[in-house]
Amino acid sequence: MADAVIVVVLLLVGATATTAVAVRDPERQALVLSVLGVVLAVLFTVLQAPDVGLSQLAVGSALTPLLLLLTVRKVRRRAQDKGRQE
Amino acid sequence: MNRRTTLLLAAEALAWWCALAALWLVLISTVDTLERVVGASVAGVAALAATAARRVVSAR
Amino acid sequence: MNGWILAATVALGTGLGTALWGVATGPLRRRVVAQNMSTALACPALLLLSQGYARPSYVDLALVLALLGPVGTLVFARLLADDLADDPPRAWGVTWVVAGFGAVVVGAVCAATGPSPEMVKLLVIGALLIGGNVLASRALSGGFPGAGRG
Repeated sequence: MADAVIVVVLLLVGATATTAVAVRDPERQALVLSVLGVVLAVLFTVLQAPDVGLSQLAVGSALTPLLLLLTVRKVRRRAQDKGRQE
Repeated sequence: MNRRTTLLLAAEALAWWCALAALWLVLISTVDTLERVVGASVAGVAALAATAARRVVSAR
Repeated sequence: MNGWILAATVALGTGLGTALWGVATGPLRRRVVAQNMSTALACPALLLLSQGYARPSYVDLALVLALLGPVGTLVFARLLADDLADDPPRAWGVTWVVAGFGAVVVGAVCAATGPSPEMVKLLVIGALLIGGNVLASRALSGGFPGAGRG
């Protein structure tokens, strides 16, 4: 019975990770990925590893989506410039 | 920069220092001399940075 | 398994499950709101877990999440500003419900802690959580005109 919270959070991690793979648009994928970061941090806390959860929070909740969105933006701009030159 | 703005800036930095040092004392678990010294110096650096940042933002 | 962990389990299962469903389907404006709600729900759940495991140091996780969750939402609000400008998300009902849940959890954990420096820390976390959440919702709904330059 005490493991119910672990089971619930593991199910959430599985569902979120599957969704992150299934979503195709990179911007929407970044949104799912930031939710996945938070859920993973909760999983590490539930498994009594709060130090790992702390670093996961620091990286996963803001930094990963920021890098992804900046990359998408740069790639789109480059594609637009190329389209204009041709 | 005249004398009045300097005084105002010093007062603002002091207010930041008080708030940040109080925050440090709240967030640590055991309060001893070393923690107080570290907190006071870190709060000083952060107060200077906060004053400078606010000046830059309000001058825009 | 005590009441705190049970409450955290229910909050995580229903709250984050709903947030996951919201972030996986629907238009973009609903997805960003659901992402904001997921951080605002996970933070009270972490507080409940810290109380349930009787480990006050676990509260640091909730503190970091209360600081960084709104920062992540502001990243989306800034970089998706062009896509969100056409139909800005308006979800003040959800925002205030989640903020109220956070306030209730912080109040309950404070009552269990009793007056001490830890209680002040919990109140700081609650203020950061609710303030950051409301600020992020306002930024998403285009409440800061002129901030989306560049």
